[in-house]
Amino acid sequence: MPKDDETIQLQKELQDLIAQVQDMQKKANDAKLEDTCGSMGDVPKVRLVTKKLLKGHINKVNSVHFSGDSRHCVTGSLDGKLIIWDTWTGNKVQVIPLRSSWVMSVAFAPSGNFVACGGMDNMCTVYDLNNRDNTGAAKIVRELAGYEGFLSSCRFLDDKHIITGSGDMKICHWDLESGKKTMEFNAHAGDVVSMSFASGEGDNPVGNTYVTGSVDRTCKIWDVREEKAKQTFFGHEADVNSVIFHPSGQAFATGSEDKTARLFDLRSDQQLALYTPPNKTSGFTSCALSKSGRFILCGSDDNSIHIWDAMKNQHNGTLSGHENRVTSICMSGNGMALASCSWDQNVRVWV
Amino acid sequence: MDMMISNLQQQRQVTEQLRREAAIKRISVSQAVQDIMKFISEHEQDDCLIVGFSSQKANPFREKSSCTLL
Repeated sequence: MPKDDETIQLQKELQDLIAQVQDMQKKANDAKLEDTCGSMGDVPKVRLVTKKLLKGHINKVNSVHFSGDSRHCVTGSLDGKLIIWDTWTGNKVQVIPLRSSWVMSVAFAPSGNFVACGGMDNMCTVYDLNNRDNTGAAKIVRELAGYEGFLSSCRFLDDKHIITGSGDMKICHWDLESGKKTMEFNAHAGDVVSMSFASGEGDNPVGNTYVTGSVDRTCKIWDVREEKAKQTFFGHEADVNSVIFHPSGQAFATGSEDKTARLFDLRSDQQLALYTPPNKTSGFTSCALSKSGRFILCGSDDNSIHIWDAMKNQHNGTLSGHENRVTSICMSGNGMALASCSWDQNVRVWV
Repeated sequence: MDMMISNLQQQRQVTEQLRREAAIKRISVSQAVQDIMKFISEHEQDDCLIVGFSSQKANPFREKSSCTLL
């Protein structure tokens, strides 16, 4: 294909911009995280034990998400069910049979009124937990279709809005009242497998900024009102499986297939730290942060959950119990409990 | 950095996007880390993984005794 002058010019500009950005990042990189945190007190060894072993699914459990009430969580399994659990008692509050058993991602609305899920059915289905249909199961309020790939991630902004990431590399914004897509745009050069919102102002659990992680090995920062990314973060050497915003809103943590977890900072626009476990054998499927942001936790293919002091970059402990890959973990909003789910069909609540 | 650029239109979009991203204001890592440290210190007391539960009563996941007030 013959290249014309404009293409050549644009390509050169691109190379120059890349060099410029790397240069500016280098200039900003005037300190190491671990050194700057030398003055911080040490943290105790984290003591989390399985307080509830939630049994009920009869196939691999792929995804778990807490409600904004820090008490209920939803899990999705290849057994074709969503289960809403009361983590304080261990009881199943609702069991929702799905039309497709290929669920990959679940989300709980912060209000606790709705849950959403989707997967290889290339759809995102939203259920109303306060309204039952004639079989007694939570009513489907929306079936959001039109994806050209599987649904890999979804998160509610509020009861009326949901954002999804999919295998067709797009992000879609939906208005649940009208059932219409309000935005659809190419987001990454690979499946958009994870997304996380920064906290909002005051009591609002959800703000305008969110981060996405992709199979294309990058993470991007977005504003909900816009279709173009704000920032792109490189560094991971394989799929970024999970992203989670730091409670400060200034950073986010990641877990990756490349067997590392990392911390990226928005305002200096670069990676601050790389975390590895004592035996660097397995990829990380999921990640979470403690309430203050001091600890980073990652679910692993090695069946355990690793914990690090995020600031001093020290491995703090390992949560063992699951008998197969940990697929998803989620910290409750109040920071009291971690929920995890696994291919071993169980869900654990660690307190 | 792999870019899937197959035509001029995409090339323009990619370059424009990088122009936008390159133009953001960056602060120093030392400043960024100081600010994150400050946030963490301010919220340490709320972090159960650091301070634990103030008393067993504060832990909603504890085993409940068999007596309840009706």
